[in-house]
Amino acid sequence: MSIQEVRVTNLPHVNDPRGESLLHTIKTFLGIHSIDRIATARVYRFEGISATEAELLAQSLLAENIFQRYTLNEPIIEVRGHTSGGGISPINEAAVLVEVAYKPGVMNPEAGSIMKAAADLGISGLLAADASTEYGFFGTVTAAEVAEINTRLLVNETVERVVKDRPLTLVISGETADTRIIPIRAMDDDALMELSKDSLFLNLDEMLAIKSYFTELGRDPTDCEVETLAQTWSEHCVHKTFKAQLIVDGKPKKPLLKRLQQATVDAAHPLVLSAFVDNSGVVALYDDLAICGKVETHNSPSAIEPYGGAMTGSGGVFRDIMGTGKGARVVASTDMFCFAPPGLPTDEVPEGCLHPRYLLQRVVAGVRDYGNRMGIPTNNGSLHFHHDFRAKPTIIVGAYGIMPAEDAQMGQPRQGDIAVAVGGRTGRDGIHGATFSSGEMTHRTMDVNASAVQIGHAIEEKRMSDALLKARDEKLIRALTDCGAGGFASAFGEMGEHGGVKIHLDQAPVKYPGLAPWEIWLSESQERMALAVTPENLPRVLAICAEHNVEATAVGEFTDTGRLEVYYEQNQICELDMEFLHNGLPQRTMTAVKKQKPVQEDDPSAPDDWIQACTGIMAHLNVCSKEPIVRVYDHGVQVSSALPPFGGLPGNAPNDGVVLAPVPGKKYGMLIAHGMNPVLNLADPYYGSLWAAAEAVSNAVATGANPADLVLIDNFIWPYPDEESLHDLDQAVDACTDFVNATGMPFISGKDSLSSTYRARDGAVIKIPPVLCVSCFGRVGDVTATVSSDIKRPGSTLVLVGQRDINQMGGSTYFEITGASSSRVPQIDLPTLPRVFSAIHQACQKGEVLACHDISEGGLLAALAEMCFGGQAGAEINIPADNRADYFLFNETAGCFLVEVANPDTARELFAGVPHLVLGRTNDSPNISVQQGANKIFAVDTEILFEAWRKPMQEVFGA
Amino acid sequence: MKPRVCILRTDGTNCDLETYYAFDKAGGQCEMVHVNQLRSGAKRLAEYQILAIPGGFSYGDDIHSGKILSVELTSLLKDQLSSFVAAGKPVIGICNGFQVLVRTGLLPRSELGTISATLMHNDSGHFECRWVNLVIEESPCIFTRGLEGTVVQYQVAHGEGKFYTGAETLDGIESNGQVVFRYADPVAGKPTAVYPLNPNGSLNAIAGICDSTGRVLGLMPHPERYVETYHHPNWRRGHFGEPHGIPLFRNAVDFAMKNL
Repeated sequence: MSIQEVRVTNLPHVNDPRGESLLHTIKTFLGIHSIDRIATARVYRFEGISATEAELLAQSLLAENIFQRYTLNEPIIEVRGHTSGGGISPINEAAVLVEVAYKPGVMNPEAGSIMKAAADLGISGLLAADASTEYGFFGTVTAAEVAEINTRLLVNETVERVVKDRPLTLVISGETADTRIIPIRAMDDDALMELSKDSLFLNLDEMLAIKSYFTELGRDPTDCEVETLAQTWSEHCVHKTFKAQLIVDGKPKKPLLKRLQQATVDAAHPLVLSAFVDNSGVVALYDDLAICGKVETHNSPSAIEPYGGAMTGSGGVFRDIMGTGKGARVVASTDMFCFAPPGLPTDEVPEGCLHPRYLLQRVVAGVRDYGNRMGIPTNNGSLHFHHDFRAKPTIIVGAYGIMPAEDAQMGQPRQGDIAVAVGGRTGRDGIHGATFSSGEMTHRTMDVNASAVQIGHAIEEKRMSDALLKARDEKLIRALTDCGAGGFASAFGEMGEHGGVKIHLDQAPVKYPGLAPWEIWLSESQERMALAVTPENLPRVLAICAEHNVEATAVGEFTDTGRLEVYYEQNQICELDMEFLHNGLPQRTMTAVKKQKPVQEDDPSAPDDWIQACTGIMAHLNVCSKEPIVRVYDHGVQVSSALPPFGGLPGNAPNDGVVLAPVPGKKYGMLIAHGMNPVLNLADPYYGSLWAAAEAVSNAVATGANPADLVLIDNFIWPYPDEESLHDLDQAVDACTDFVNATGMPFISGKDSLSSTYRARDGAVIKIPPVLCVSCFGRVGDVTATVSSDIKRPGSTLVLVGQRDINQMGGSTYFEITGASSSRVPQIDLPTLPRVFSAIHQACQKGEVLACHDISEGGLLAALAEMCFGGQAGAEINIPADNRADYFLFNETAGCFLVEVANPDTARELFAGVPHLVLGRTNDSPNISVQQGANKIFAVDTEILFEAWRKPMQEVFGA
Repeated sequence: MKPRVCILRTDGTNCDLETYYAFDKAGGQCEMVHVNQLRSGAKRLAEYQILAIPGGFSYGDDIHSGKILSVELTSLLKDQLSSFVAAGKPVIGICNGFQVLVRTGLLPRSELGTISATLMHNDSGHFECRWVNLVIEESPCIFTRGLEGTVVQYQVAHGEGKFYTGAETLDGIESNGQVVFRYADPVAGKPTAVYPLNPNGSLNAIAGICDSTGRVLGLMPHPERYVETYHHPNWRRGHFGEPHGIPLFRNAVDFAMKNL
């Protein structure tokens, strides 16, 4: 039967926000001004129904005649006859019409909703549906300009295409491919590496280990077995570098992971319930509840398809929480991004990479659409810019959850338990995601790894979460985990590690026919989870899932054979020893060597124009307001927020962390914060990393957290570990363990991603700046005893608390702006730091802290300005005589706090035991004035600072 | 006896727990009801005295916000829904729930299956989460009794909240006094078209309307997001009195206690 097409557009007198917003981006980003207007239309296609039925759908579902009109099997946006570009088109005819659709096989979440609504409307026989968007460009736009718009804004060829003709069918068909035998025993080293290239990403030693395993068995492996080993042994899944024996500057050193975990063990934190063993780390809350946290990176997928990549990044980290213990409810989401500056000239974007402004907008859209639809508040995050992120962004997403403490421990399947696949269907999505994300990015990455990305389906995950929490509460779950990288292979392979598991892939529901067995096994289709349930509990689990419109299918059973056995129909396509699969990987020995990075010592002269210096700081991308991003996230859903990301009188002053009361009616809660500084990590991996950890905890403590209740999560996003980068990484890990030893705050979860390297066609390498992101969370006894950053009243005292050497200006925003340089980065004083944390916390507990803000990028001046914005207040401060005023104002040492208290006596009393300095007082003037002794240095209007601070992101995101 | 409140859920509902809590705190006896349970007959709307359709992204808000659920309700649960309304029982739709009530036709004209107004994409072109000021109008609405003329603060969080309808319907709503909430200027407390005080470009700054009986209320802002003092973003700065969301739920519970 033919395809029916319905097109829907807004009535002529109704505005078209989607078109307007696109036009704004085209003008500001591409600089194309030949378009007067853009009209958009939705295009729906149906297969298997009559024109009359399509018309019923148009009227009852697709178009609302109050503001829309539709056509059936007719164009809706009139387009001028095909003359070559130029000339003026009639007012009601578009110069060019472009329809953009997902490629066949890319799951369009809308299609399922259309199928459901059609069934509810009594329309049977609908075989398939699709939805896409048409853009009509009005004005004098040329074909070349439209081609540029398509390439740079509208069409991401990884997942989308321009539709030229009406498709003949919407149904995807195909024959199941056979399982292939890989003749690995006969391969020489070259052939092994050829096999590995672009898909397995294993090195020669690892390929040889596989060859030798099968040589001993006397047979060749199936494609499924080789793929299973490659993904299980991928850097992404097994962290080879972090587990490697190290030779650092000629001396042996323990593996990085072992050192981090040992520090956690030594810290023996009394609140920790589960560290490093499960999908997230778990600590105690109150009332026999527990909270958990996980932070993930999703750099590689986001680099090639930022919208889908960010969505699946969010979806994945949410499932990590959902798959912790016997299951947790996700209560918060965080996002930390690094890009090249959005104004990067187009010719500086490396081949095969996307423009940072496009990446930024689309990544934010992906996090927005996944988190908002799931109903998870995204309420803590940050954005960092550096030119060297132009080859690959760093995309970090975190999630936090709550669960009964008795469900906090990871479950263990037993022999005879049923293996159940829950959630979305399996398609050819994300094949090789685990291995892909472990490889370097190159100019070929976009082409070779297109299948590694898909569009997330947040509602599928939301209903799955609803169903799984119900099953957990009824005590029906023995064990569960999420299907992330490596799909079923990873999920069931890990669950069956200690016993064994037998899976029948032909039982798994698929999106469309034609998948080879190994593809079903390795597919990384999103929104799926793996359960172990007893045969007695199975019917109830299936019933709960059905009640929530969630598909759940028994696909196998757990055994005691110690083997991973996979079948497709009658054929065994994989049989591997769990021992070899999980422990057969040769341990690497890796060498790290310090490379000197000479930095010229070049101090700036004191500013001639202080106003310009201050606005330059405030407008710097690493300092400026990120409010437009926070506004598009539903940071208020779940109604848990007791300290929002932005507050103060005008609602636009940033707070340092987020405080949540996730149990309605209870005053206890939790707190989330983080710290990172790629610029400092690049300048000095040890002190940059110490800074990140100190900043994370400072953000938490500034809001009133008790340092004794805080735990940490590490994310190392590092260039490919050559000798130099590995040395930097070793330094970063040393910083982390030193921090744990000094503060007693353990890391309880972590992740590394060591592929921040880009290799161009000519072999040139771009190392993306190394990032250590430290996240910090913990319980809060009483959320009403926490503190915000906005100044509360005039006439109170401002006091700086914490240890710093203002001459340590290396890596600062001020030095970057002035073109100065120094190797002297802020060196956090570890012995002092915990005492400062404790003093701030005790002051908050006493109720003496009116406002508190920690000092980070932009330094004291930026912190003071943000506090003034929130209170619609002014301030006067005095710099001690022997200090360089610009360094005093712009030094970025973490672990320092700007605190508002009632009067100088209170300040001295509260902070007697730690370094502190009474700076001045708040007032109700509209400016900040700075003196040194009796000399007035400058005064600046807070409004001028505010405008400078607000503008950069507003330009990217519009109003 | 406490009135029974049906918190209607489906795929993508995500403000259900907080709506439950708000009604619970106001004295209702709440129950989560999945639309599948109404379809299967496992539960019936008639068992409840109050119906709440919470916020979220029902079925992903595909096609239009709240559309798929509206089609489901008007196609398969029309009788239950019309009996419920005809029995004089209060109905509240918040955010996505408001979008659903409008797309079922229950608002503004109480004609199930006939749509006479809509909630379009925000003029800004994007989702918006922020606190807004709302002036409460004189209206027959039972949820806002005693609050007329006051200005309250609630949070909005939506991408499709621009109230839009034809001139005739708009006149009708205005002349019947069906407008319950308008986005307002924080200083003067007057309705405003200025972004972001009016976050979506709604006609006549309309943020919430009721039907002609005053028992069916729909609004884009989230009263359930302000039922504890510390829900307000600036609770540390001073006294805002009783959390502004509470009276709305209490009025509904009181109404049900007295009349049903």
